[in-house]
Amino acid sequence: MTHSARVHPPEDLLWDYHRGRLSPGMRLTVRTHTDLCPQCRSELRLFDAIGGALLEDVEGVAMSDNALDLALARIERPEEPESSATVTHPGFLDGFDLPESLKAADIPGRYWVAPGVWMAPVRFDEDSRGTKTYLMFVKKGMVMPEHTHRGREITLMLKGTFNDQNGSYGRGDFVLCDETIQHSPAVSADEDCLCLVAQEGLILPKTWLGKLLQPFARI
Amino acid sequence: MTFDHISVIGFAGPGMDTDTTPLRDPTPDSTPERLIARIAESRDRDAYALLFTRFAPKLKAFVMGQGLSAQEAEDLAQDAMLNVWRKAHLFDPAKATAVTWIYSIARNLRIDAARKAKRVRDLPDDLWQGEGEKPADQEMIDHQSAQSISVLIGALPPDQQTVLKMSFYEDLSHGDIAKALSLPLGTVKSRLRLALARLKTGLSAPGGRA
Ligand SMILES: [Zn+2]
Repeated sequence: MTHSARVHPPEDLLWDYHRGRLSPGMRLTVRTHTDLCPQCRSELRLFDAIGGALLEDVEGVAMSDNALDLALARIERPEEPESSATVTHPGFLDGFDLPESLKAADIPGRYWVAPGVWMAPVRFDEDSRGTKTYLMFVKKGMVMPEHTHRGREITLMLKGTFNDQNGSYGRGDFVLCDETIQHSPAVSADEDCLCLVAQEGLILPKTWLGKLLQPFARI
Repeated sequence: MTFDHISVIGFAGPGMDTDTTPLRDPTPDSTPERLIARIAESRDRDAYALLFTRFAPKLKAFVMGQGLSAQEAEDLAQDAMLNVWRKAHLFDPAKATAVTWIYSIARNLRIDAARKAKRVRDLPDDLWQGEGEKPADQEMIDHQSAQSISVLIGALPPDQQTVLKMSFYEDLSHGDIAKALSLPLGTVKSRLRLALARLKTGLSAPGGRA
């Protein structure tokens, strides 16, 4: 892994990830980023280390009288086998170097939204209304006209690069867009692009992206 | 890049323990790290009882502070300690102190419970166990002791301590803290940022400058 992510989740998002308060889609983007980013993993470890130190400092609250007996009884019981989740992992994802978080994700299928562009929704076991999460593949050299966003949108780069007015983004980069960002991202001409997207707020019709994405007119 | 100043920044051996809590005589065989190792090596029930007695009440208190009822907190403490028993072989004292590992187990359980996930579970967020060395994980905070962090936290300016402790003890978002303290969000964020930066600096500095 030579490339290290340069663009990281904002600190409040990382904190909300630590305490488990993100929607499933947002959580998956942060988890995927941390799979690819030693710096943010280290930040999360610091959170755990602080939590541990604060736990150590806490004055205990007495457990009920039979708590220790119960605990000693429970360790004698056989461990119920971990329910090994059956996860759909379709063939079209073969050949991509996916982080662990996405290997474990439930991704039943994909649909094409334009020539050279497909989307593959991520399915969650819990309520994920309000956020739409999908892998998006874009053939090299595509560009989107200038647009803005409604609600928060995260693009987590997995393969390839894209550029906009604000910079260039590659594997692991965590790109957060909202209403305040207006841009026209262009996928690198040299390499296809795969990213994980989580959109909060407005759910756009399937055809929207296909209409927006155009082959990049090379100059 | 290997990491070889463990002994400098932490892991004050049991003999150097300045902890004033009335724990059992911290002989080498009853440090929490050692107790977990005894469970891993020989399913040592005495070790488990000691560990349980020491940490279950703290876990209960910790999550009650975060808003769980006494019963929920008691159940979570039980489940967390059961996981300590079952996963003891995964504990790696070179990566984390026992209390940090226990905290992370409880945190994951708490998150799972909140999600009420029935069928598919997320990959556990096991930052401390299992995974082979990822090449760039040479960061210092893999190895520090809870004690040195505790000292560093105590040395933070009161404003920073307050927001840090509220974050953990009350399980609050940055926005919640801003509201609770009637502070601008930016102020909360910058205090936390400063606090984290100081802890990182303190942990990476030889001698753990506090
Ligand atoms: Zn990062």
